[in-house]
Amino acid sequence: MSRGAASLNQTQLPQPASRPAPAGSSVRAEGLPAMLLLAPFVLAFLLFFLGPALQTLYLSLTESSLTRTSAFVGLANYATLVQDPSFWASLGNTFYFALLTVIPLTGIGLVMALLVHRFVRAQSWLQGAFFLPYVLPISVVTLIADWMLQPSSGIINHLVGGQRAWLSDVHWALPVVAIGTVWWTVGFNMLMLLAGLRNIPAEQYEAAALDGARGFTLFRAITWPALKPVFGTALLLQLIASLKVFGQTYILTSGGPYNTSRVTLHYMYETAFTQSDAGYAAAVAMAFMFVVIALTLVARLVAKRSS
Amino acid sequence: MVQRRRFVAASALGALGVLPARAQKHRQTPAELRLWTLLSGGDGARMRALIDDFNASQPGVRVVSTTLKWGEPFYTKLITSAVVGAGPDIATVHLSRLPNLAGGGVLRPIGAPELAAAGLKGSDYFPRQWEKSHYGGANYAIPLDLHPLVLYYNKNLARQAGVLDGAGTLKPIVGYEALTAAFKGVRARTGKAGLAMESGQGSYAIWRLWLSLLAQRKAPLIENGQFAYGRAGVEELAKVSAWFTDGYAPAGLDYPASTSQFMGGGAGFMINGVWEVPELVRATKGGTLGFDYGIVPLPRLYQDASVWTDSHAFAIPANEGKPMPPERLRAVLAFMAYVSRHSMGWAEGGHVPAYRPVAESAAARALMPNALYASAAQNVVYDPDGWYMGAAGPVESMASKFMPGALSGQLTPAEALGMFEKEALRLLRKRPPRY
Repeated sequence: MSRGAASLNQTQLPQPASRPAPAGSSVRAEGLPAMLLLAPFVLAFLLFFLGPALQTLYLSLTESSLTRTSAFVGLANYATLVQDPSFWASLGNTFYFALLTVIPLTGIGLVMALLVHRFVRAQSWLQGAFFLPYVLPISVVTLIADWMLQPSSGIINHLVGGQRAWLSDVHWALPVVAIGTVWWTVGFNMLMLLAGLRNIPAEQYEAAALDGARGFTLFRAITWPALKPVFGTALLLQLIASLKVFGQTYILTSGGPYNTSRVTLHYMYETAFTQSDAGYAAAVAMAFMFVVIALTLVARLVAKRSS
Repeated sequence: MVQRRRFVAASALGALGVLPARAQKHRQTPAELRLWTLLSGGDGARMRALIDDFNASQPGVRVVSTTLKWGEPFYTKLITSAVVGAGPDIATVHLSRLPNLAGGGVLRPIGAPELAAAGLKGSDYFPRQWEKSHYGGANYAIPLDLHPLVLYYNKNLARQAGVLDGAGTLKPIVGYEALTAAFKGVRARTGKAGLAMESGQGSYAIWRLWLSLLAQRKAPLIENGQFAYGRAGVEELAKVSAWFTDGYAPAGLDYPASTSQFMGGGAGFMINGVWEVPELVRATKGGTLGFDYGIVPLPRLYQDASVWTDSHAFAIPANEGKPMPPERLRAVLAFMAYVSRHSMGWAEGGHVPAYRPVAESAAARALMPNALYASAAQNVVYDPDGWYMGAAGPVESMASKFMPGALSGQLTPAEALGMFEKEALRLLRKRPPRY
């Protein structure tokens, strides 16, 4: 799962009143330094993001093994893709995982942020406890989860009884991975929402308290409306992150049992590396990118409507 | 560069004893050969010991090995590096992957004169393994070993189940009923699992066992580009699944959990490859095993005792655009020949050496516990040839997704094979990739 810390989108936070536009001459004067400052990012973006993306687009129009392109085939890969039940099934699994994680991750993150914000004395302790799992590398998290979930020697079965092979169980594999993911990554959302909470001026609460507002009313009337833009951003980032799931299912379930937890990126990986079909894998990647972009736009639209 | 090449030539030839010692007078740093292996654990340690011995045996060449993660990560790196000329000088490969690697242009053929110059003779290797080292009439690899499936047993539990003879060895087991009865006996008399075998997601054991049973029944896997196992395949998967669904074997164990189950004394039998032998030897020496163990070849359930195997081998990556200088090639082949001649050290890893002068030596015949299953080598079958076959190849990887579903009882054997076939058929129809 990607951790979108760097791309934390602040545009939806309340903006300070816009300053008057600078005069034309000063724009030109600031142009060169601005370009210089932008250059490292633009270069990296072109070199490592846009370039490979265009290459992937080209690759998706060819028949290619891992290393060799043998023919230009136009849209043939896409034609196959539309009728490929494995692709659609993997997309369904990805959405199911997103469904299992997006709301809990933002919801629990919000509750954690409220707790940290409310209990000032235990603040650093709580914040640490909530955030700590996030610093673990995926290899460690999955290794521990795998031990805990072993059918005959794992602690989970010791606690709940029985011999269920959780990660090989068609009903449980994805939910179990989702639970692990929530525990592991919820700290990031907590931090983001906490920043939002701390941006709410204390005077608003004081004023409301003077008017006699208490408890949940404070949350409903002040906290929630002020936090909503941040919450929306958190939801959106989480949606993208959840759709990009790969590592946890790859390591814990290998996409099993019988591909019921194989997500789209895993399908792409297998197509490229196990089956040496890089051309088709590139088509899977492009199609998935469009799905993610489309979903993101829809989510933004919904957010705009509701605010 | 030229000087360095000359030096490599001198040292390689020196290593082979071609040049008089005088030529080596000006000792510099020895030429380095890069070796990539997929051997970890005990196999990795034994290979390192062989490499150290080789490096100490001569001054001119130093083999430096890098261990990569077994399976698909290893092969992906080998394939991608070899075709852009950035691969190592030597790589360990599975012979079951040769049609994929040699056919895909990943490996460099080794010519007959080159073999002869290095003193490598086909007749020194078992015919089947030597044949498997060829593709399209050319040699591509020097075989190192065979590592078939075997049947391990816990003597304490087997004795209680009444399946040992007076001498404390397993009474011959012939036929599915007898094997099932042995598992059932352990389960009923001791309360421990009858069989420990990996059966969780991504387990390969069932594919290997299934191939063995198909071969014992003389049922083909693939014919004319179609899966041809038919009813036999479904029946065999159902028979193995019954061990799990009837409760003689715990379902859903991943690989380490399945070996711990047996090593911890929690199972009467274990079906696994010979590569687990060193762990048992070590635990017995250390006094930590807690029981006596025995090993027999996979029992004959049908017409013969065919058993799945694979072989490690050394190969030379093609490294396109960077042809290997003759002197470097000589050093590479000298290393391969050295390891063959010293593969007794490799046999201690449980493997059956492919090099006959070692495999048929008195020392190897007396080596325990290897001698208990040495006869399995006569009945081995490999994955059928095909670019999609072999260790961690696409078909095995697909089988490891669907067959465990039958073992856990979540799919019927027919369903599991139906799903497997639907995905795998696409591969059978595809053109072999040229890397």
